[in-house]
Amino acid sequence: MKNFMMLFVGKEYVDLGLSPEDMQNRMQKWFTWGDKMEKAGILRGGEALTPQIRRIVGKNRTVTDLTSAEVKEIVGGFYLIQAKDFDEVQEIAKDFPDYDLGNTVEIREIMVFDN
Amino acid sequence: MESKYIDHLFRHHSGKMVSVLTRIFGLSNLNIIEDAVQDTFIKASISWRLQQPENPEAWLTKSAKNRVIDILRKLKKEKTYLPEIHKGTVTIAINKLFLDTEIEDAQLRMIFTACHPDLNSTDRISFALKTVSGFSIKEISSALLTKEDTIKKRLFRARTAIQKSQLKFNIPQGKALPNRLESVMEVLYLIFNEGFHSNNKEELIRQDLCGEAMRLCKLLLKNKHTRTSASYALYALMCFHSARLSAKINTNNELLDLKHQDRTQWYFPLIELGNMMMNKAVENLELSCYHYEATIASEHIRASSFEDTNWNKILIWYQKLHDLKPMPSHILTMAVVCMQQQDYITAKTYLDQISPDDFQQRAYLYYGTLSDYYINANQLEKALIQIDKALATVTNLLEKDFLEKKRQMLSEPKKN
Repeated sequence: MKNFMMLFVGKEYVDLGLSPEDMQNRMQKWFTWGDKMEKAGILRGGEALTPQIRRIVGKNRTVTDLTSAEVKEIVGGFYLIQAKDFDEVQEIAKDFPDYDLGNTVEIREIMVFDN
Repeated sequence: MESKYIDHLFRHHSGKMVSVLTRIFGLSNLNIIEDAVQDTFIKASISWRLQQPENPEAWLTKSAKNRVIDILRKLKKEKTYLPEIHKGTVTIAINKLFLDTEIEDAQLRMIFTACHPDLNSTDRISFALKTVSGFSIKEISSALLTKEDTIKKRLFRARTAIQKSQLKFNIPQGKALPNRLESVMEVLYLIFNEGFHSNNKEELIRQDLCGEAMRLCKLLLKNKHTRTSASYALYALMCFHSARLSAKINTNNELLDLKHQDRTQWYFPLIELGNMMMNKAVENLELSCYHYEATIASEHIRASSFEDTNWNKILIWYQKLHDLKPMPSHILTMAVVCMQQQDYITAKTYLDQISPDDFQQRAYLYYGTLSDYYINANQLEKALIQIDKALATVTNLLEKDFLEKKRQMLSEPKKN
């Protein structure tokens, strides 16, 4: 078994003007998805991120404060899961609820260093 | 893990919280309030993904209370005048305002605000759906089959009217109450009809609108000032109609008229509730148009088959309804009822009293009925002309389907 991260990238709900009804429906799908992973015993953790960004760039360490509205896409959160390979994670990622908003799931494998 | 939440929890909670916060901060701060409430739901929908609260409703209410402080800070920063806050008592009063009975009171205030005569009557429905029912602009536009831009304009107009007239956030008292209550009931009736007679193919949207109208009507019945025989009758009417909402469409998504509906699909608990409400509605002798409409609806439901319908009684009730509130659509319906009784002569006299212009964008109803008349009078050529006129004016796809099938049936015998 290997560890993978699913990163959720795209637009934030706050910038899309979703209705309360829509948000509740999406939340329901997130629940179902989370439950499914938990039941399968593969969920290792996860976090949601706030839409504030402090970006530090360059030699001069230039600092910019941004919000999700000012960037094209933002990492909104992630799940850490255990799986056999990329294909298995891809299968799990099918249930991500926000594809219809144009949002993306990025699957990355957690690197393991040999001693 | 329990992960199923109450249907429409967010939507309903949104209306509640916007109303309560408006009671605290006044209608002049509606924009800030709506943004703050929206923010609560964004936070909930994201943070609950990882950790679901034991009592979601309490979580949302607590979060809305926290917004009070945020809003206060924001308004202080902008040095905005706070009309309805008495300094010092704010924090004590806030907890009280979030009690269930006070939330209901706040929602009623919002409904009465939405129905203020200074608001254009077409703007009232959109404003009520937005603020009281927590619909988004997109949801209102798809529910009312109107462009999003139009809805935006309506909401903007409503808000402007509210600010311009500096409306107080309350339920009118004394002499002003009956008139306003009447316009509230009219708006609820229209919201319900939008759902019930909707051109919308999506059953969910229709159910949503009917459900909202009923929920708000129930609020009227809970308050002793707004609980009248007319509001009971309106609720009864909604019960009777809703009982057969899902029977109106068959599995192929085709519109079914009363004649072809599967009566076993009618939902009897709602019919019983309607009967109970009707009993309350007739406790005094003040009869409203809702009394007659509810009586007509219950007369249809009472018949075990379409053929068993007591058309005589229905015609009498329609005549009384028309006496109370004359409308071309009542005359048209009376013509239909007469045809059911094979009384084509009287039907024609009714039809002669009205013209397609009386029905504006629903002129197809007139043409459709007239074609039925010609079919019965065995004047198929004329019937076809009328059906074509109906088809030319109909916009509703389900109705169009229905008319096209009828036309096909009419023209088929000619081919043989």
